Amino acid sequence: MRKITLLILLIISSIQLTPGQGLYSPGSPADDGKFAASTKQVNQFFRRFNAEESQDGKKRYYDTDTQYRDRDLRKSFINILFDNETSGIARELKVAFTSDVIAEDNPQFLNFHGQNWFAEVNTVFTYRGKKENVTLFMKLQPEGLGYEWVIDKVSFDPFKAYFDKDTGTKKQFLHPLSHELDFMNLRKAFQENPKPESYTATDYEPDYLTLFLYEIKRGNFKFENVTDLKFHFFQIDNWYFELAQFNRPGFNTGWLISNLVKLNEGDREAVLKYIYDQK
Amino acid sequence: MKKYFPSFLLMFFLTAAVSVAQTADISPQRKQAIDSLALEKVKDLSKYISIIGSKETQFSEANRVMDRAEELFAPAAEMGVSSVNTRDVAYYKVRRYFERLMALNYDRVNISWYDIHYISDLERQPDGRYVGVVTVYQRFEGTSQEAGLNYRDTTKKDITIYVERKSTQVAGRTIEFWDVMLGDIRVTETSA
Repeated sequence: MRKITLLILLIISSIQLTPGQGLYSPGSPADDGKFAASTKQVNQFFRRFNAEESQDGKKRYYDTDTQYRDRDLRKSFINILFDNETSGIARELKVAFTSDVIAEDNPQFLNFHGQNWFAEVNTVFTYRGKKENVTLFMKLQPEGLGYEWVIDKVSFDPFKAYFDKDTGTKKQFLHPLSHELDFMNLRKAFQENPKPESYTATDYEPDYLTLFLYEIKRGNFKFENVTDLKFHFFQIDNWYFELAQFNRPGFNTGWLISNLVKLNEGDREAVLKYIYDQK
Repeated sequence: MKKYFPSFLLMFFLTAAVSVAQTADISPQRKQAIDSLALEKVKDLSKYISIIGSKETQFSEANRVMDRAEELFAPAAEMGVSSVNTRDVAYYKVRRYFERLMALNYDRVNISWYDIHYISDLERQPDGRYVGVVTVYQRFEGTSQEAGLNYRDTTKKDITIYVERKSTQVAGRTIEFWDVMLGDIRVTETSA
């Protein structure tokens, strides 16, 4: 009995003597609800969008839980997942989107491992001694035993200037009987000509990612920083939305929908072309 | 190591109860046990940061705590720090970050942690290890009496956790358990 008493005393005294002020120490500042309300991770955006966690964020719902993907819970979650302060997304658009997403006959969910979403990462590199903005488009892909983020595309303004090809009558060309002269006019095409791309096929598309990697290997690009990050989602039928992070006072913070577009036929390609900004 | 032993045991029993063979998916029960272990490590880190930052901590003691704190991390882990005013991220090795924290030019420093955290799902990497992110919020208060300066900020810390299945020999028996290591940490100053 004495041993047990001694043990209890020892435990109590060791708790009191614990140094420092760690997480959940007595006297920790209390969240006034702002951090709880904030969508703190992209992971939490997925969970909230799909109603896969409790309203206070403390419980993860699985398919065995009754509240898992509950329609009413989803509705209340999706309402708080829009940037309501700066993005100016029309109320009617939000209502139409929400009603499509939580439709009773065909509810739609976000899938982390699914296709049709990707990241836009704004970075700064030093390129040949000068700081330049480089945009990387990244996607998730299966690899080995799991998944990885990979660079899918790159956008870099100076590269675009390299491939400024004229068309029609202004365009430089190799005349159609060049073959009869063993293409001797290639000398004029390549020597001291700033536009060798003029001699490529109509459907030629420069591969900026290959060029980017080549320049890194040559030591011409040096990574400096990541300056911004957002995500583009095409997972909901006939809708596109952008996800961005809002770090500001208040309750409408964290990862929120910053842009929402109803897609008609052909719009998806136009939006993608705008995002990728390859030309 | 001793302090984590009950968690290892818990993890071992859960592992045995759920399935003998390891599957790609982590069951909700096992995830909960891993979350608890991850949170223990994050709590330790938060405690160590508070001690290292405190001006009442002796230099030798701070160095000892830095060693302990470093043991929580996987090799080559870095801290990426940004403030509200600049979008640039400053990258520090974990040890360097602690040394900078210790050397801050305040007479009095108080580091405390908000009573909230968020733990992501665990995702499997190509090498078979699992990765997750724990988010916590830290309040920093620094006072410089000579300059009459009071500095205060709140930072969000997104902490990478690596979860790996390991095995050890105990009395001739192989016991498997899940181990958690901390990885890169993104530190963002909040506007709160």
